[in-house]
Amino acid sequence: MKLLAIVVAAMLAVPSAAFAQARPKIVVFTKNVTNPFWKAVRVGADKAGKQLGADVEHAAPTKPDNIEEQTRLVEDWIVRKPAAMVFVPVDFKALVPSIQKVNQAGIPVVIFSNRMSDVESVTYVGSDDETIGYEITSYLIKSIGGKGKIVHIDGVPAAITAQNRKKGMERALKEHPQIELLASQPGNYRRLPAVQVFENLMQRFPQIDGVICANDDMAVGVSEALAAAGRGGKTKVVGIDAIPDGIAAIQSGKMQATADYSGHDQGFLATSAAIRHLRGEKFPKEIALPVVIVEKGNAAPWAMPVEEKPTPDWNKVLQAQKKL
Amino acid sequence: MNAAARALRMPLAISLELPGAAYLLALLAAAFALASPEFSSPRNLGNIALQSAALIIVSLGMTLVILTEGIDLSLGAVLGLCGVVMGLMLASHGSLPTALGAALAIGIIAGCCNGALVAYAGMPPFIVTLGVYGIAQSLAMVLTQGNSVTGLPPAVRWFNEGVWLGVPVPILAMAAVFAFTWLLLYRTRFGRYVFAIGGNRRALELAGVPVRAWLVAVYAYAGLLAAIASFIMTARMNAAHPTIAIGLEFDAIAAVILGGTSFEKGYGGIWGTLVGALAVAVLRNGLNLIGLGTEWQVAVVGLVIVSAVALDALRNRS
Amino acid sequence: MIAAVQRLPTEMLFVVVTRTAFVAALVLLLAIVSPHFLTTDNMVIVLRQAALQFLMAAGLTLVVLTGGIDLSVGAVLGLAACVGAGFIVKGYVLLGILAALGAGLACGIVNGALVAYVGIPAFIATYGMLWVAHGLGYVFMKGEVIHGFPAGFRALGAGFFASLPIPVIAGALLLLALHVVLHLTRFGRALYAMGGNPVAARLTGMPTKRYLVTVYALSGMLAAFAGLVVIARVNAADSGTGEELLLTAIAAVCLGGTSLFGGVGGIVGTAIGSLILALVVNGMNMLGIATFWQAFAMGVILILAVFADVTFKRRMS
Repeated sequence: MKLLAIVVAAMLAVPSAAFAQARPKIVVFTKNVTNPFWKAVRVGADKAGKQLGADVEHAAPTKPDNIEEQTRLVEDWIVRKPAAMVFVPVDFKALVPSIQKVNQAGIPVVIFSNRMSDVESVTYVGSDDETIGYEITSYLIKSIGGKGKIVHIDGVPAAITAQNRKKGMERALKEHPQIELLASQPGNYRRLPAVQVFENLMQRFPQIDGVICANDDMAVGVSEALAAAGRGGKTKVVGIDAIPDGIAAIQSGKMQATADYSGHDQGFLATSAAIRHLRGEKFPKEIALPVVIVEKGNAAPWAMPVEEKPTPDWNKVLQAQKKL
Repeated sequence: MNAAARALRMPLAISLELPGAAYLLALLAAAFALASPEFSSPRNLGNIALQSAALIIVSLGMTLVILTEGIDLSLGAVLGLCGVVMGLMLASHGSLPTALGAALAIGIIAGCCNGALVAYAGMPPFIVTLGVYGIAQSLAMVLTQGNSVTGLPPAVRWFNEGVWLGVPVPILAMAAVFAFTWLLLYRTRFGRYVFAIGGNRRALELAGVPVRAWLVAVYAYAGLLAAIASFIMTARMNAAHPTIAIGLEFDAIAAVILGGTSFEKGYGGIWGTLVGALAVAVLRNGLNLIGLGTEWQVAVVGLVIVSAVALDALRNRS
Repeated sequence: MIAAVQRLPTEMLFVVVTRTAFVAALVLLLAIVSPHFLTTDNMVIVLRQAALQFLMAAGLTLVVLTGGIDLSVGAVLGLAACVGAGFIVKGYVLLGILAALGAGLACGIVNGALVAYVGIPAFIATYGMLWVAHGLGYVFMKGEVIHGFPAGFRALGAGFFASLPIPVIAGALLLLALHVVLHLTRFGRALYAMGGNPVAARLTGMPTKRYLVTVYALSGMLAAFAGLVVIARVNAADSGTGEELLLTAIAAVCLGGTSLFGGVGGIVGTAIGSLILALVVNGMNMLGIATFWQAFAMGVILILAVFADVTFKRRMS
């Protein structure tokens, strides 16, 4: 009886170790559990895990975007020895030492959405925020006829996405000297602060031709504030992210356009890259997602809930890299 | 009785009335050691100690403040400001000692402002420190425009990565600060005044003790400790960030209360604070290791804190 | 109304007078410096923002009067808003409102029970509830945003009545109701007694424990109501709703002259405090001052205001 028990125990122990190698554990870091953008990232990541046969676990700070907590999460995860890490820093500078520790521990890292320097990563997956800022600003400028007054509602000033999107906006503004930037104030990527900031700006500037918001969450809020004040027709609003809320606003005409910043695709591709790297596949050091401006005419595909979205075709995406 | 035995007596006496946090710590450590194979690994235990160093240092200062029936909500923002000033000075090629000195000075000055308004103007500590929190936070944000300050000289990393006599620097710093605070609290007149201000301020005043000046010193000490903690946190991130410690003061207050120090009556002690801070650190580390989802972690931490304090309250009643 | 003012102790009178003078000075200064400040539109915006702040700080005022504090108001606001949003977005507006208020009530009762019956300090009890409410909110929302509420519900936050925003009217009604409760009912007067002299209050046979539970329950329910107004205003709910409103709510209460030691203060002060905060933010936006300076301004104003109160109190005694 005892021998049988030992044999059974041995049989149970060995396969689990083998299984652990067959289904690698990938940890996917996101900035918080409040913003639906990161939810889309997690959904995409889970799909990659399911398609490619890996166990995906998630790590996000309990206090949204908290630097100290994310540092702690990285350190705790190093102890758990995941097969690979998919990572976005809540602060692209302050998390450098933590990722350097991950590098030292020999755990491969794929970074996505926010670039980091001075760390080793298998690849970087993301959209180019500077190009996005440039394209969406150019779109807005064209839609108001090339001249007028605009207002910029910024994201969290320290975030690399906000900084790069603003740089892109400034590049577009330089090309159109007849556009006057009335004000640039942070809404911190959140709806209520953006609404309140914009309300006050509306009082200061009776004429605003266009508003650029660093994300859709804020843009939808701004467009509603305009509608409530009866100024909806006179001011055009653009955002970034192409979240369902923003798409609905575009389809109803409250907002003009947004730029695709697909958390779902980024999560899927970054996690796929991590898993494929473990299999020994080779791919470029950077996988850039194309910049797509979404307006009423082409908005339909983005209105789908994130769970039902089709996953990008890995090979097609790699093919497109050679052209970019 | 020789000095060593006397020195041991105080902590032993306190340990006989162990706060709930001690049982909590033991329970959590045992549970996680069973549930997670990595929990008791030397690397992980080392991590826990390193991760708690800054919190414990700040909590020690907070203990003194709470012992005087006060509270300090500005410590997190002051820590951020100290780090930012130090970082900015270092990034523009200032010397390390000057930058460290500036950070320490800011911590002490902020503490003196808090203390002066509480002691001499007679304002409630909650409001004074809430106001100073806003001011310190604003200054830190304006100086950095919300960005991290990088480009720090490699020497800074010693505060987190360095090892001296085989012990990591943050743990040494924590031990040194703890030892110094212990001496301050239990072996000096200052310490006796701290307990007395909380328990029986009138008597002290009638005895002619300059209570108000000592109260300012308490808040100044808390500010000084926040500055020291800022060295460790800045080194850990290799960057100074204005909001790096926002919310830390609430964690510190929780650690102090969990450790048995009471908001009223001025009793309690720093061993309790140490245990309370470690209990929370172990809880959060353990929850990460067993892979509990973030959403549930938040609720669990709240439940554990409230349960621990509730059990203590019920225990004290009977 | 005049009778209620005459009943105010001298300290509250000092508070009301100084704060009103400050508001007047601030309005005058901003009107001179910024041409768009003193317009009807802008005043409406300021009032609405102040009303939102006040709805959240009102319940907190009652708790602080008893010498306690409620750190969970922001998180309870968010949780209740999310719970309500889940029903409202599907069209069950009344059910959603009741669910939200119920969630706030439940959290408040738990807070009150912990403070009154278990004897936990209010700071820790409500701090723990802050975490629990946040956590439950995260679990409920699963990282999503709920958006697109029926127009009827949205009027609560964005609508107008007699050319005043509905949140302002709600705030005014709440102010009146709470003022009456505080000064004309036994419950209200008991709150002052519990804060001012808890031992004496107990000895006079007041059901202090029951009252404590009631006051925290009220705080939770009012936070829930504020949450409904916020999501009606922005037409969306996510688990981060209300997070940033806690500290400004406390500041509004303190600015209004309600002492954290309990026993002194009132709801009128909180209303004025909320108005001051809204004016400062609006004014700074009008003048183009970077938002980073707002916390500084509030910190300075808070300290100066309470310094004045404390000095006045000392001169009087």
